[in-house]
Amino acid sequence: MTEDKFESFLKKTAQSYNTPPARVPRDEMWAAIQAKRAAGPRVVYGGGATYVVGQRRFGTKVWLGAAAAAMLLVATGVGIGRWTASPGAQSGVSPLPMNGVVAEGQAPTGVPDANPAGASGSTSGSVARQPAAVSRHPGAVAAANPDASRPSVGGVDRNPASAGSTGSPTNRSLRADQLVAVQHLSEAEALLTSFRTRSNTDQQMDAALGKWARQLLSNTRLLLDSPIADDPQRRPLLEDLELVLVQIVQLSPGSTPQDRDLIEKTLQQDHVMTRLRTAIPAGAQRGS
Amino acid sequence: MVAYESPGLVNDIELITRVVAGDAAAERELYETYVDRIYRLTFRLAGDDELARDYTQATFIRAFEKIGSFRGESSLSTWLHSIGMSVTLNGLRKTKRQRSREAPIEEGSTAAFARAEAEPDLKERLARAIDSLADKYRTVFVMHDVEGYTHEEISGTLNIPVGTSKSHLFQARSKLRVMLADFAPEWVS
Repeated sequence: MTEDKFESFLKKTAQSYNTPPARVPRDEMWAAIQAKRAAGPRVVYGGGATYVVGQRRFGTKVWLGAAAAAMLLVATGVGIGRWTASPGAQSGVSPLPMNGVVAEGQAPTGVPDANPAGASGSTSGSVARQPAAVSRHPGAVAAANPDASRPSVGGVDRNPASAGSTGSPTNRSLRADQLVAVQHLSEAEALLTSFRTRSNTDQQMDAALGKWARQLLSNTRLLLDSPIADDPQRRPLLEDLELVLVQIVQLSPGSTPQDRDLIEKTLQQDHVMTRLRTAIPAGAQRGS
Repeated sequence: MVAYESPGLVNDIELITRVVAGDAAAERELYETYVDRIYRLTFRLAGDDELARDYTQATFIRAFEKIGSFRGESSLSTWLHSIGMSVTLNGLRKTKRQRSREAPIEEGSTAAFARAEAEPDLKERLARAIDSLADKYRTVFVMHDVEGYTHEEISGTLNIPVGTSKSHLFQARSKLRVMLADFAPEWVS
């Protein structure tokens, strides 16, 4: 009984809840509907609607998704480009290969004999430095040396002058690194040659060489921390060079001949001079 | 209360056929036939003339877009009300979210408490109590007890079983009774 009374009371009282206006704004709403339909999608009866040309067809989410996909695509492309351009990713291409490092007086392995007429009689310094005829093109190698059917050292043109003439920006960057390395190694060779030929009693010369060695030591360490040292043959050479340069820098004006002999022994044991000369292409202006 | 009547299946089919054929007069006729019911119901649920107009317009725009897919499985009135309720309830959810973001929580709760204390009037209290119901209970309560829809009509419009409609109405009334307990002498007498 109480339940029925409550329902009756509730229905009666609830009539005041959000009471709509007595007059329904029919005409205003119809006008608004017509306006919206005219401005909005064109109605096609049959379950769908076609869109007026030039109107927004897709939602914001679709455009955002498309933009994100485009950015991802660009980023992937740049990433692949950088990866393939990095020295470590280029198989068989080394800015300055040193496959031909050998002991003095021996023919370098993997280096075709570019001077078949008189290579055997050349001096130790010139044995390894005959890359002028070595080219990327097997045909060019064969023309210079009919016996040289093997590919060139590392498959790379060792002449930086010709290497820098063409190529993409990435290749030009690699060749610039190569030029820097060649210049540094040439200067190191000049220093070590000067060190070996100096007089044991010339303390003034020792001081000048020490200053020079200090400068080269700094550059060597910079190169060791740079991509130039990524080459598997170049890094050991730079590390050995660093050791020798440290020894030269540490030579005091009053150092004994035994100290100098110690440096000389290091140079000989590690074949530093030979490796330096092998790493420097023919035609490069050493020490400049 | 407003009766929930359809002009009849035959009339529905004839009207739809004319609308689909591109008869502008038929469109207006369909609109005039149902606009009052749709507007009243959306106004009851929205409590705001502007929102009620927006929802009513959106209902008819959508109906004209989709009328070609109407298969006659329910009456045209039920189909239109179904669109109207979908538009209205979705719109109210959006509005509620926006308002809850705009009003700080502390301020809102304090205001509601102060209003309850300061407005002892039964109608106001009832309105607040109905507003506080969950959407599913409030919709069924408004349609049945305020606008006079039958459970069958509510079932077709909201696409819920008749039993669920009855259950929601029972739940709504129970909650309102608890919330209006201090007005018990008024309905007992």
